Order: sequence, then C-alpha cells, then structure tokens
Amino acid sequence: MTFLQPWMFWALPLVLLPVLIHLLNRLRHRPQPWAAMRFLLFATRTSTSQAKLRQFLILLMRVLALLALLFFLARPLAGGWLGWALAPAPDVIVLMLDRSASMQTKLSEGGETRLEQGLRVMVEAARPFEGSSQLVWMDNTGRAPLALTKLSEVEALKLGGPTETAADVPSMLQAALRWLLDNKSGTAEVWLASDMQKSNWRPDDSRWGDLTAQLAGLPQKVRVRILPVLGRSGPNRSVRLEESYRRKRGGKGELAMTLDFLKTEPVAESIPVGVTLNSSRTDVEVALDSQESRWRHAVGLDIRQGRGWGKVEVPADTNPSDNAAYFVYSEDVPLRAAVSAREAISERVLGLAATAFGQATNGAPRLVKPDVAGGWERETLVIWQGALPQGSPSEELRRWVQEGGVVVFFPPGLADTNRFEGIGWGEVQNALEAKPFRVVKWDENQGPLARTDEGSSLPMGNLMILKRQAVVGGGTVLAPFEDGAPFLARQVLGRGEIYFCASLPEPTWSGLAEGPVLVPMLQRLLALGARRLQHDPSVICGEMGVADAGLTWTAVEGAGLDARFRAGVYQSRDRLLAVNRSPLEDDWEAVEGSAAANLLGPDNARLWEGKTSGGAGATQGEIWRFFLAGMLLFLLVEGWLILPGAGPSSAAGSARSIRVEGGGI
Amino acid sequence: MPDRWARWLDPLALGRLSAQPLVSLSAMEGTVSGHHKSPHRGSSVEFAEYRNYAPGDDIRRLDWRVFARTDRFYLKEFEAETNLRCYLVLDASGSMGFTGKGGVNKFDYARRLAAALGYLVVQQGDAAGFSCMGDRAKVEVPPKRHPSHLQLVLEKLDEAEASGETRVVEALHSLADRIRRRALVLVFTDAFFDPEALLSALQHLRYQKHDVVLFQLLDRMELDFQFDRPVRFVDLEGPMSVVTEPGLVRDEYLRQLHGHLDRLSTGCREFKVDYRRVVTDEDYERVLAGYLVDRLRLAGGLM
Repeated sequence: MTFLQPWMFWALPLVLLPVLIHLLNRLRHRPQPWAAMRFLLFATRTSTSQAKLRQFLILLMRVLALLALLFFLARPLAGGWLGWALAPAPDVIVLMLDRSASMQTKLSEGGETRLEQGLRVMVEAARPFEGSSQLVWMDNTGRAPLALTKLSEVEALKLGGPTETAADVPSMLQAALRWLLDNKSGTAEVWLASDMQKSNWRPDDSRWGDLTAQLAGLPQKVRVRILPVLGRSGPNRSVRLEESYRRKRGGKGELAMTLDFLKTEPVAESIPVGVTLNSSRTDVEVALDSQESRWRHAVGLDIRQGRGWGKVEVPADTNPSDNAAYFVYSEDVPLRAAVSAREAISERVLGLAATAFGQATNGAPRLVKPDVAGGWERETLVIWQGALPQGSPSEELRRWVQEGGVVVFFPPGLADTNRFEGIGWGEVQNALEAKPFRVVKWDENQGPLARTDEGSSLPMGNLMILKRQAVVGGGTVLAPFEDGAPFLARQVLGRGEIYFCASLPEPTWSGLAEGPVLVPMLQRLLALGARRLQHDPSVICGEMGVADAGLTWTAVEGAGLDARFRAGVYQSRDRLLAVNRSPLEDDWEAVEGSAAANLLGPDNARLWEGKTSGGAGATQGEIWRFFLAGMLLFLLVEGWLILPGAGPSSAAGSARSIRVEGGGI
Repeated sequence: MPDRWARWLDPLALGRLSAQPLVSLSAMEGTVSGHHKSPHRGSSVEFAEYRNYAPGDDIRRLDWRVFARTDRFYLKEFEAETNLRCYLVLDASGSMGFTGKGGVNKFDYARRLAAALGYLVVQQGDAAGFSCMGDRAKVEVPPKRHPSHLQLVLEKLDEAEASGETRVVEALHSLADRIRRRALVLVFTDAFFDPEALLSALQHLRYQKHDVVLFQLLDRMELDFQFDRPVRFVDLEGPMSVVTEPGLVRDEYLRQLHGHLDRLSTGCREFKVDYRRVVTDEDYERVLAGYLVDRLRLAGGLM
C-alpha cells in the first residue's frame, strides 16, 4: 500500500490520544463518601475480565478510529483485490503503450516480449472497467487517440503490434492531456506501459515541468499509472549503419559502409554478419572486441549499376528489432572539387590532389578566384587557400556547407582577422631547422586521416612541416602537433563540414605536396561532400515526412509492413527508401520507475503495484473509502460499547427495577 | 412541639397517618388492654372497661347495647387484649450518614420514620422504646406508654449521630436476651454488613416470639452506581478509600449488591421477619402509610 499524502503519518502519535485522555481522566478523580464499600471493594478486587475487556475494547476502537482517520487523510492506494474492489472507476482510462523498438526484447521468463507483457497486463487490468469507463487507446506512433467501444478492438485492430520507432513519452502524455481536455472528460487515468528507456522518457526535458503544472491545473482529477515492463532478458547485440556511400577504387566501384555494433556482454567475440545487397547475401566474420565496435566494410558495386538496396544483419538474439540495418544507394554522383587559391603552387598541388579519379569526365577541379567565388551547386568539395571569405561569398559558402558540402581552408600565409564560423587564422610560425613541426597522433578510425581500407595508417609521422599558421577559435582537433596546436581541425555545420589545415602544400611550408597524406585526405573529403548531391534515401522509423507518408510504400522484403512504423526497405514507384529504427533505441539506459513517477509529482503519477504477472491486482486504486467506513464502524462499535447496558452481563438499569419490598413475611 | 423535634415529626403527615393503627402481627403480652391479641386465653380474658370510640377503631368492637341506650359509641376493652411494646432500633453506623444526590441523608430519613412510628405507637396507647447503636451513640430508652416518654425518645433520637462501625447486630442480640415479653421490634438500618450476622440476630428475636420489622434504607446512588469518570470512594465507616473506574466495576458491584439484597429478602421471609426495603428518594409518609396498610391487611387475616 502506498499513500498520496504520506506526511500525514507525522501525526501518527495522535492515535494514542484516547489512551492519554483515559490516563489523565483517571488522575482527575473526585472524592465521594460511600456507604456500600463492602460491595465496591469486592467488585474492585474481582472486577471481571469481561469488564476490563470491554474497557480495553472501547480504547482500542477509539485508537483504531483515529488510525483509520489518519489513513483516510493520507489517501492510501492499494493494489490487489483491495484496491480493485474499493477504488472508484474513473470516467476515462487511457491505455498508453510504448511500442518502441526496445519493447521487442524477449523476457527470460515466460517467453513474452516486453511489448506483449505490457499489453497483456494492461488489457487484463482494463477488462473490469470495460463497462464502467471509457477506454481510449494511445501509443507512440503518432496515431490519434482512439476511443475503444470494446477491449477486443485492441487485438482486432492490431493496435499493440511491434514497431521500430522511438517513444517520446512527454509528447505522448501531452497528447493524452489534450485529448482529455478536448473531450471534457471527468476523472481519468492514464495507464502507461513502458520499458523505461531513458532516451524515450527524456527526464531532463523541460516539458515535464509543463505537464506537472498542467495536471495540477486540471479541473478534473487525472492520474498517471506507470507500468514498468522490466523483466530480465538475455544478451543482445545491435547493428547500426553509420554511413554508406558509393566510391571508386582502382577503376571499380564499391559501396563503402561504416557500421556500429553494440552489445550487452563485455566479452570479446566473433560473430557472422550477414550483408545483403539486392537480395544477395554474404556472411562476413566480424570480431567484436568490446561492447561498442565500429566496422568498415566495402561491397563491390558495378559503376554502371544504378540504385539498389541492402541490409546488414547480426545473428538473432533477445531483441530482433535492432539486428538489422537497412540502406539504399542511388546512382553514382560525379565528384568535383573547386579550388580557390591565392598562391599558384598551392592552387596547382591542391587541384591535382583533389582530382576525382576513375571518372569519365569532369574529374578535374574547377579553379576559381576568391573575388568571384560562388556558384558551388555542382561541387562536392571546396578548397580555399587565402584570406577567409567575408560578406556575401561567406554567406553563400555557409549555406552550401549547411546543405552537405565540405570546405577545407588552407592558410593564407598572412595575417587574417576574418572568421568563418568562429574559426580563423592566427600568426604564422616557423619551425627550427633542426626541429620541424610533427604530427604525433591523429584520428585513425574516422575522418579524412583514417586508415586505408587495407588497414594501413597514413604516413602522418613522416610529414615534415617547417611552417604553419595557427588555427584559432575552436573546432574539433583531428590531428594535433606535438605542442598541441591543431594541424587539422573540423567544425560541423548543418549537414556539411568545415576543415582547417594548418600548413600549405608548398616546399617552404611542408611536405604535404608529396601526396601520401594530402591526396587521401582530399579524396575522402571529395567523396564526403558527394552526400550533398545524393537524395538521402534513408529515414528514421516513425519520422517519415508528410510528403513521403502520403505515398504508398511496399516492402521489398516481407509483406504487410507499414513503412511509417516498421524498419525495412520500401519501394514506391521508382523510389527506394530505407527505414531504420531510431538511434535513440540504441541507448539502453533505463530510468528508475520511482524517478519516472516523480517527474510528474507524487500526486499525479504512481507506479503500477504488484507483479506484471497480470490480473486486476496490478493496478492501484485509492481506497480512502475503506478507511472512512472503517472509522465509522469503529466509532459505532465504541458508541455501542459505552452505552449503559451494552456488552455482556451488564446489570445496568436493573437498579431501577428494584421495587420497595414489603410485607414479605 | 420544640423546633428540634419538628425536624422529625410532621404534624400534617402524622394526622393523616393516625387513621391507620399500628398493629402487631403476633400476639402481644402486656398488663394493659389494647388492640393486640394476647397469647393467653380462657379465664384470664375478661371485661375491663368501656372506652370512647375514636375514628379508626374497629367497629366490630363497638358495644351496640350501650349505643342503643345512650346513642354514643363505646368500645369494650378486655384484659385479654394487651398493649403493644414497640422497640425502635436505629443503626447509627457511619454508612447511615450517607447523603445522596437529592441531599437526603439516610440517618435523618431513618430518624423521621422512627419518630413517626414512635408517635403513632404512643398515640394509640402502646409503649414505645428506643435503642440506638453506633460507635458514638449507645442509647437505650425502655418502652413506656406515657406521652411524656415520647419526648425523651425524640430527644435521644435528635441527639443521635451516625459514625463508625455498625453495632446493630449486638444491639439486636442484646434486645432478644433482655426483652421478657413479646414485643414489636422495628429495625432501621442500611444493612451494609454481613447479612448472615443480621439474619442471625433477627432469627434470635423471632425465636423469642417478637414481631420483627426490618426497614432497610438505601439511596438511589447506591442502587444505580452511575458515575461518568473515575471516583475516589471514601469509606464512611473507616479510613479506607478506593480509586476506581466505575464503569469497569459497575456490573460486579451491582451483582454483589443484588445478591446481598436477595439474601436479606429471602432470609427475612424464611424467619418471618417483615422486610421493608426503602429508597430515600421516596416520600417517607407514603412509605409509612404503605407499611401501616400492609400491616393492617395482614393482621386482619389473623384477627
């Protein structure tokens, strides 16, 4: 049993008040001269246990009545048959189910998924209210609240099926409150079954405060009951496609993929990963050394081949919803760079390094002058050497980057006070002849300086840098010099990226012109910028745009899947679309049930009591009526006990029946 | 009538009560003729004198021949009809000093009854004596017929004080031993002591052929025992006191009291003692009238 006003129990000592009054009353005796002492003494000595018992019962009833009053004021809640029998039926019950991907986790006991268990418990609990309360269905798919005429509609309409969406719990609750207000419902309860995933509950969200205030301000009583579905489950692995893009290697095309693996077990293992490309599957053994691993993989792809689709799968485990990552690819996008350089040598070297290889035409970069810079629509990479742009060229370049373009800035070699996204150039620094600047560490896992596909590191350690210009103002340092100053810094802007390289590919500056570092770096950036020109054919499950949602999508694998809520690859006329589960679902941290209830305040939300084994006993009801009735009963019994003549063998009143006897001879 | 006696005698009430003679239920022995049957029969029973009729006299005893001659009512008196000796025995123990809620004191009530009965006895030509037994009071007034003797009885009655333990049982045994002739013994007590001792004393008196009447005086408070909070009960006959929760002991107290009263009632019935239970909130005149009428009705059956 729990209480809505537990602080009332500070008054618990007050239940001893009748005992205290009784004891004080004994001290307040008055003297009475008495003749019939003979009988009084005998009665005092041999006062019957029944009389004492009656006195004790009177005190007990008073104490119990006070105790019941306290419990009544503390507003008790009870699960089990008690709560069920004594709680009044609310006018409206909103059945709210978290159908996010993580809810598909199979529980160790019973073989149900969290989703199935949550749904079952809620439906069983709602059954007794079918006739007395209006039942309303809500879930996290964005579907409008559905008033149920019968509970069987939940099954008939498949309302509780699995999805690969994420749940936005504050948003769901806001929708429920809106519905209750719009429909002017009376007392209402919102039953929310969820696996308490922190990323879904968003405990730091400011909307919780608004919800609490909203609930407090409602004219009717609305209470939220939270059913945490948190049974034990086995080990789980998940795969997520971080990136996939077409590229050319040695005259051949391929699809490069970056995949992230997560797993619950910390042990190192090797798992077979299935890579499907247009219905053709190959298995690849992947070593997972830690709980989080990144894996790069490339699949050969004919240059002439147009669009296609694929998926990457890990072996089946406790949660099937996170075992696959889907992707589609479109036609090959021609890569092209634009070079705007102040120095002729730099212009030439950078132009050569940024030439797109393996393309039939337009492989060479476009060379533009800074003063007429602009019109980058067809470029995937802009290389800028010289003073940072300002004014309208700067604004145009910023917009282009936000759309997905990549720009890399090389030093002007002169003082420059301009800034681009807060980053700019500092002073030019020369190294001592005997001690050139060296880059000792760099990000080899991702970015432009990552290892090659064969696993070889770029020869950054051999790079001799005699002159550099300091990068100031921020950005993520991908490769620092020995003294910590950045050689290469990155700043993300919208869908695109900005890079600052601290040295020039000129003999007086560095050995960058030799190529082993500069060429792969620029080629990678060139391919990276191609994303701007590719229509992103991947959406997050449950976040499909209005335009796409209006189309008819058919799953290329499996039948009857709804593209809005289920992950997979879908086709609509000549378009392909990959739908993947929300990245929020890969954050497995859960929020404590009590902490979740406190987000709405103890008066508004309670945890579902009892086991999720189901049945009506799982809900909690206010049972103050029971204690009010108890209090009245105790007072009635007490009143009966103190009545003259009450209780067994009382001789009260018989004195009046004594008649004046006489003549009795 | 002196003021201090006026407390015990109410002329108006006595006037009303005088209509009923106080008769003995058993034969009395005496040297003077009276209303009461003698145990002696035969030659010793002869005419003594005529007496004027007084209202209340038995009309069967009128001499109709004298009435025919003189047009006046005369009663014949015979030596065989003796006068009555009445002993008024008053319990002067401390418990008799109890004053109830109505402000009525049991001892005063008993004195009022005794005084009225003494007056009635003397007024009808019988002898009244008085005995008062207590810690402080130990008074013995032998029974005499003279009206002046009643003054002495009333004086002693007025001087009596209720205190200490009861001596009434000793007084009754003493009376039983001392009284030679049959007499009417009226006992006024609350009888809050061993009923067996009292019944034994009453049995002793009955053994000596005395007509015994026991007036047991009780207060309504003693019978109801209604208190709403703890009380310190102070013993009227000693230094003892008891703090108790009346509600807790009430049932047992009443059970004990009723047992005691029942024992006295059955004991008196067994020994042919006239047992009169009197509650002090009743009007004493009605109590006396009831007693006199009962006596007359019972005596009628015997006469």
